Amino acid sequence: MGTRIESVATVRARRGPLSRGALGLADAAARECLARAHRQPTDLDLLVNAGLYKEKSVVEPAFAAIIQEDIGANRGHPPILGHGTFSFDVENGGCGALTAAYLIDGFARSGSMRLGMVVASDSDPAPRTSQGYRFPPVGGAMLLQATDGDEGFDGFELRTFPELGGRFESGLQWEPGRGLAHRGHNALVVTEALEYGRRCVECATSSVHAFLDRARLSLRDVDLLVATPLPAKFPDALGGELGIDRDRVAHAAEELGGAHTAGTMATLEGAIESGQLARSRNVLFVAAGAGITIGVALYRRGS
Amino acid sequence: MLTELDRTEWAHVARIESVGMKLPERRVTSRELMASARHHPHIDLERLTGIRERRVCAEGESSFSLAVDAARDCLARSRHRPDDVEMLVCASITRSIGDTTHRFEPPLSLAIKEAIGARRATSFDLSNACAGMMTGVFVLNDFIRRGAIQCGMVVSGELISGLGTTAAREIRSLYSRQLASLTLGDAGAAAIVERAPDGRPGILVAGFTTISEHSRLCLGMPSPHHREARMFTKARAIHRMAMQDAPPLLGEVFGQSGLRLEDIDYLIPHQTSARAIAAGERELRERFGAGPKHMVINVEELGNTASTTHFLALHRYLSEGRLREGDKVMLLALASGLEIGVIVLSMDQLVRTHGHAH
Repeated sequence: MGTRIESVATVRARRGPLSRGALGLADAAARECLARAHRQPTDLDLLVNAGLYKEKSVVEPAFAAIIQEDIGANRGHPPILGHGTFSFDVENGGCGALTAAYLIDGFARSGSMRLGMVVASDSDPAPRTSQGYRFPPVGGAMLLQATDGDEGFDGFELRTFPELGGRFESGLQWEPGRGLAHRGHNALVVTEALEYGRRCVECATSSVHAFLDRARLSLRDVDLLVATPLPAKFPDALGGELGIDRDRVAHAAEELGGAHTAGTMATLEGAIESGQLARSRNVLFVAAGAGITIGVALYRRGS
Repeated sequence: MLTELDRTEWAHVARIESVGMKLPERRVTSRELMASARHHPHIDLERLTGIRERRVCAEGESSFSLAVDAARDCLARSRHRPDDVEMLVCASITRSIGDTTHRFEPPLSLAIKEAIGARRATSFDLSNACAGMMTGVFVLNDFIRRGAIQCGMVVSGELISGLGTTAAREIRSLYSRQLASLTLGDAGAAAIVERAPDGRPGILVAGFTTISEHSRLCLGMPSPHHREARMFTKARAIHRMAMQDAPPLLGEVFGQSGLRLEDIDYLIPHQTSARAIAAGERELRERFGAGPKHMVINVEELGNTASTTHFLALHRYLSEGRLREGDKVMLLALASGLEIGVIVLSMDQLVRTHGHAH
């Protein structure tokens, strides 16, 4: 038993005064994802948010709990032995969505849940003061159903390369003497080294080889590569390094191209819309994030 | 509730093998904290909460340093080496490291893993307010029960007393939504969760749910204009909802596991205030017609240390030799969200090995 992907959805904020923040994006993506699978929010057992950058940088409660309330997933007290929803956040940069899928897949394997959803979204929490923030406002969701069938995730792996940890960093920095009345302020600072993208490709290449070796598969067995859009041009660069033909590399739609934590969903949706997913049996998910952290997962589609 | 019992078809049982902690040296009494209030709100904080003092970090300490020191303490009490840890989960609400007041990327877990030498571990951060560490144990329990890993660590470092500093500066009355921030103290905690040897007891049941209609009753966030963060809590409403929603869910867990409340030797609730815990105990006794043998209150000298409270209390009771093999200990999370979580442990080797360094 594992999980199969039941649906995926992404949302990009429009420009202008009605533009949505991370919460609105997450809510909209989650609702659309449920609608595409003809599911009700109350069907959800587990909701895991992997988004990082949100309104006011709220750190408590888990953002997933707020999303759960907004979409109406068993908001109130469930009846005894009834159906509730459990929500929490996972934070693992660009690998967050794949990490969340890993945990949901585990709870499905142990028979603890039937339906789980990964949600991720990012928006600049303070555009006037943030420095180096370049991610587009994108939300994504992926619905995972427990299954006994032949389609589903078949292995996850997260590898870290801490010796390359300083290549991408983000956090709030206290800047004395800045801001209102020069009282100082907390500013979001994002830094990315020029070589970060190249290093991610190197780390991902070795991670994929190690993963496939353990799974006793070769690159010829991989029908489709679904890689996060970030760092820039990562899917094509990784595909090239691995020797995977371009028609076996999925791409996110252009307007979703810089999606950060929702990147896995953005590329997967691109693969569905292009018809690549329908033609594939073994799908290799690869995510890259700060750390450097590389997530790899194999997804087998049914015959 | 999302519930995992120890008697399903899955072959393995998970147990807590070691508990570690780190407390900063500096102590700040409730009287000292309230003396810093700008608006003289006339609150007898110690009488109201039962918190006499809390630990507060010194310059140079951070969420990261607290977490690392707690993880090292945990390893020193464990038979495991850092290389045995296959999964490391950092569950802090606060994420300060160096000059960074809140780290987003890379995750704090990666820096902790490096610092303690757990090179083999899969690592990620998990955030679930004050239920974070218990949620981390819930995740590790799942991986261990189905044989995916044999040993994991959950760790948290909470440099959170700054919220109290901000609150003291801004609070005007007993009805302020920052009142709960005055209870907070700094601490780090860590726990190693491992596969129990065949036939040995461990985590009997673990269950969590989120009553999200109350998700906005407590919101914590960095302050744009102060170095320290801020938290706004409708404390009375949260307490009322927790009292209303927790007992039926506990009843559900008891029903599924075959346990009764009176079977619980020590109930460790989330440590907010002595008054709130006592009220909770009265409510439980009224609903169930019985209560646990001991209700653990550990706020007097530490205050509310956010996601670490359950493990500081467990550490203290182990250190004081109060727990016996076979005792059933219930950890009860009531956290912003509203997160309700239960983990029941059957005490085994931990009562003998706690305190034994390598």
